[in-house]
This record gives sequence, structure tokens and C-alpha cells, in this order.
Amino acid sequence: MPGLAALATGAAGVRTGAGPRHHLGGDPVGRRQRLYMWLMLFPAFFYLVTAFGLILYEMVTISLLYGPPGAEAYPSLGNYAEMLASPEFWAALRRTTVFVVIGTPLQLLVGLGLALLVHREFRLRGMVRAIFMLPIAIPSVVTAVIISLLFSVPYGHVNDLLMGRFGWFPRLVSAPINWYASEPLALGLALLGKTWRDMPISMLILLAGLGSISEEQYEAARTMGATSWQQFKYITVPQLVPAMASVLVLRSIEAWKEFIFPYILAPSFPVLGTLIDHAYHVAKRPSYAAALALVLVVLIAVTTGVLNRILRFLETHLVKA
Amino acid sequence: MKRIRLGWALGLAVALFMILFPLYILFKYSIADRASIVTGGRYPEPLWPFAPTFEMYRYLVSRGDFWAAGVTSVRIALYTVALSLTLGAPAAYALARYRFAGYGVLIFTLLSLRLFPDIATVIPVVERFYKPPLNALPVEVQVALAHTLLSLPYVIFMSIGVFQGIPKDLEEQAAILGCSRLYTFTRILLPVAAPGLAAGAIYTFLLSWNEFIFAYYLTFTNPEGATLPVYLLRVMAWTPQKNLLAALAVVISVPVILFSFLVQKYMQAGLTAGAVK
Repeated sequence: MPGLAALATGAAGVRTGAGPRHHLGGDPVGRRQRLYMWLMLFPAFFYLVTAFGLILYEMVTISLLYGPPGAEAYPSLGNYAEMLASPEFWAALRRTTVFVVIGTPLQLLVGLGLALLVHREFRLRGMVRAIFMLPIAIPSVVTAVIISLLFSVPYGHVNDLLMGRFGWFPRLVSAPINWYASEPLALGLALLGKTWRDMPISMLILLAGLGSISEEQYEAARTMGATSWQQFKYITVPQLVPAMASVLVLRSIEAWKEFIFPYILAPSFPVLGTLIDHAYHVAKRPSYAAALALVLVVLIAVTTGVLNRILRFLETHLVKA
Repeated sequence: MKRIRLGWALGLAVALFMILFPLYILFKYSIADRASIVTGGRYPEPLWPFAPTFEMYRYLVSRGDFWAAGVTSVRIALYTVALSLTLGAPAAYALARYRFAGYGVLIFTLLSLRLFPDIATVIPVVERFYKPPLNALPVEVQVALAHTLLSLPYVIFMSIGVFQGIPKDLEEQAAILGCSRLYTFTRILLPVAAPGLAAGAIYTFLLSWNEFIFAYYLTFTNPEGATLPVYLLRVMAWTPQKNLLAALAVVISVPVILFSFLVQKYMQAGLTAGAVK
């Protein structure tokens, strides 16, 4: 791969390389050096900034088209008016909110559990950690397939188990459960898939947080006779607050964004992501899809900002206390 | 103390079960024979097939569209890796070596791109790619360009650390010996950075290989351009046959599992980018 990278830097490098010899390091950053630096930075940032600038611009302009194809009114807020008047939008917004409000703390707890399990010395620790990392390597689509296999209707492992077909397990239900016909169950499966696949991410962030707590504090606490629970409560948790705040912010963003798991496992109960896809592919209304997309982007930006504020406030508050 | 050890061992067992059992079940279904998946409710589906068979794998291998999807996946992933490193490595080098006024803004920009949901970004992207002049690009390149939008911030983050780890003396000595900046970067820095950059490359490959939304939208009207995850979903819509779906899912996952074992150490940097201060 270095060869390829070299090709690209060629454009930037040739121009600067043509000048007289120069020195790096001790010299103050001269004009030439500054130019060189910007030329190195330019391609990547140009690509990202133009692309996302265009994406945002197009999202806005497309969403302002309203009316039958070929005879759209522009600019029109018709899509937004229609959205606000549509019960499907409000239902999807409610489901997405529930998904975020339940999913985010759930992912924090699961990640914390895994992080605490591997954050100690034991034989085969490396292997256990590697196994804990497995879910993130599995494509989301595959994870969704695994869940649909386990929870298939009418005869899947979970239904077999609950109906007592395995003999060693009591019969809990008399008829197979149709997971995909019930809103809480279908969305629950989507959440299960999301949590299962992404737990290594929360685990890693929390592990880094755990690693930054100095061992001396625990030693000091132990000499003063603190129990393990007290050590956890008064040393681990308070110092893990920044890492936990990171997990909450990042995971809540991901929960808002979620599309694949609800799309495959809860098609009858659209969240905002699925609703965008429905507007685009089923209703064939790109402009309505763009309006929904823009609302989702704004929603994420606002809630992330608010959550960040709240967490920062709590952090300073907790440190003081 | 003893109670805690017991609780820990129990927790570990539960966690390992929760992670490994679903993977085992996927494998089990992929080698299941007909009687193990079509039970009619007379007996439970067995936890190990009655007559394990590789029939479904043989069937997949015999299908042209499966191979086509595989080749498409590999090509898109390689294009994405090439593009991401080409753009990302120089940028990471600049960010690693120079401190300047806009530094914080650039890093913030990189991080805030995550706020965009793929399912939202994909709408304008597809609309743009359907129209000239971009519709002239081969669909594989279109998907790779989209995947680069996702991978580039990670590649830059992961590579900043790689370049920071290279001693500055190396460049200074090269400069004293009369190397141009271009020569120093391509012939001295890149080879030294290669192992670290390889981790970013593999991470990008995995991201592209696993990605669903952009691949799905950009190949929606063009079934030949499907990547493996899109192909899996198509097969799912077309047949609910459990062993076929499972075999296909295993084939898609095995390369990623192997690869990710190789770059675990580095994946941490990518996955936690911006989260750990």
C-alpha cells in the first residue's frame, strides 16, 4: 500500500520538492513548510468537507421539492408539513426515542460488564479479550440473520425452548410466539442485535478508562480496610465517569442512526431510519426521504449537544461532591 | 473475596456463552441437513445436525451470482483501501508533525462527521450518483467513493499515532543528506510507517466488506453490482431456507473474523477514536 499512498502524495510533493533543500525540526515553521503541510492535508479534507457540504446542501434542496414528479414546487415546505401531520412520522419518532433511551444505558451496562470481566490478570486473558472482540467483526447483516435464525417462527430454537420441546426446559408458552408481529418484541430483537454486535466498542472505551485509574489508589483503600464494593463505588465509578460519558454520547448517536437491525428484524414497526428507506424505495419519494433525513440529522445534532451539556454538568458536579 | 471470584467466573462463563453460542448456532445451521431444519414441530431442531453436510457450501460455490458478489466485494474494498490511504496517510502525517491554529477545528470536523447517519447521507449521495456526470462512474467506484467517506476519518486517526511514533531524527537526517520532502515521505517515512498503516488498511477493508447501506442503495437498480451483504439480503428475501442463509453468512464472516484477529491491537485505536481523552 505505501506505493499507492506515494502516488497520491506525488501531486503535493512534487511542487514543494522542486525548491531548494530545506531543514525540518528546529527551524520555525516557515512559509514553505506551512505550504507543504497544507498540501498534505488538503486532499483528505477537501474530499471530506466538499462531500459532506454537498450532502447537506443537497439534503436541504431536495427536501424543499414538493409535489407530483415533474411538476414540483420549489422551494416548498410541503414535505415538512406533511411529515408533521403524518402519524407514521410520530410513531417512528417515538420508537426511535425508545430505542435510544433503552438502548444507550443498556449498551453502557453490557460494555461495563465485559470491561470489568477482562480488566484483571488471569490466564488466557488475551484469548478471552479476543473472543469479546468477535461480535464487532461480524457484519451487521449477518448478526441480524443469526437473530432471525434463533428467533424464527414458528419453529426456531427459542420457540422450541419456550414451548418445552427440549424436554429439559419447562413449557412456558403453548403456542409459538410470533416475534415479528409485536412491536416491543420486534424492536427488542433489533436492540438485541445492535447491543450484541456493538458491545466491544463500549468495552474498549471503558477498558481504556479502567486502565487509567492508578493501582495505588486501590492499595491505599485496601490498607484502610475498604471492601471490594467500596473500592468499586468510591474509586472505580467516579473515575470512570468520563469514559462512561463518552460511551453514552457515542452510543446514543449510533442508536439514533440505527437502520439495519430494525430494517431486517422489525420491518412492520419503522424507526426513523427505516422510514427514510420506505419513503425512498417503496413510496419512491426522494424529496420526502430527504426531509426525513434532514430531520434525523438535526435531531441527532441537538440531542447530542444537550446530552453532552448534561454529562459535562454532572461530571463537574460529581467531581466537586 | 471468594464470593467475588465466583461471581467473576460465572460472569465470564455467561459472557462467553452469549458471544459464542450465536456464532456456533450460525455454523450449525450452515451444515444442517433437511431433517434438522424442517421439523414440522414434531421434534425440536437439534443442537447438532442429524446428518451434517456441506451441501449448502457446495451449492453456493456453484452459483455464478455468489462469485460475482464476492468479486465485487473484494474490488470495492480494495478501491476503498487505496483511496483512503492515499488521501489519509499524508493528512495524518501533517497532523502528527505540525501544530497549527486550525488543528482543533480539523479534528472536530473529523469527529462531527459521525453525527451524520448513513441512512440520511445516502439519499443525497444516491441522487447525485444517479445524475451525470457521476453516473458515468462504474458502480464499484461509486460505492468505494462512498465507503471512503466513512473510512477516511478513521484512517487519519489511526495513522496520526503511527507517524507520531516515528522519530523526527529520521527526517532531519534525510534532509541533511539532501533528500527532498517528497523523497523523504515516500521512500523513508512510508516504508517505516507501513506496518502501522497496514492496520488502517485492514480496518478499512473490513469496514467496506461489512458495509450495507451505501452498497445496497447504489446497487439497488443494478443487481450485478451487489456486494456480499447485499447479496445475503437478496437471498433472504428470496428464500427463508435456514441452512443456505447460514452458509452464506458464514462465508461472509470468516474472512473478517480472521482479519480482525490480526489487527485487534490497532482496531482499538479506530473504534475508540475521539472517545478516550
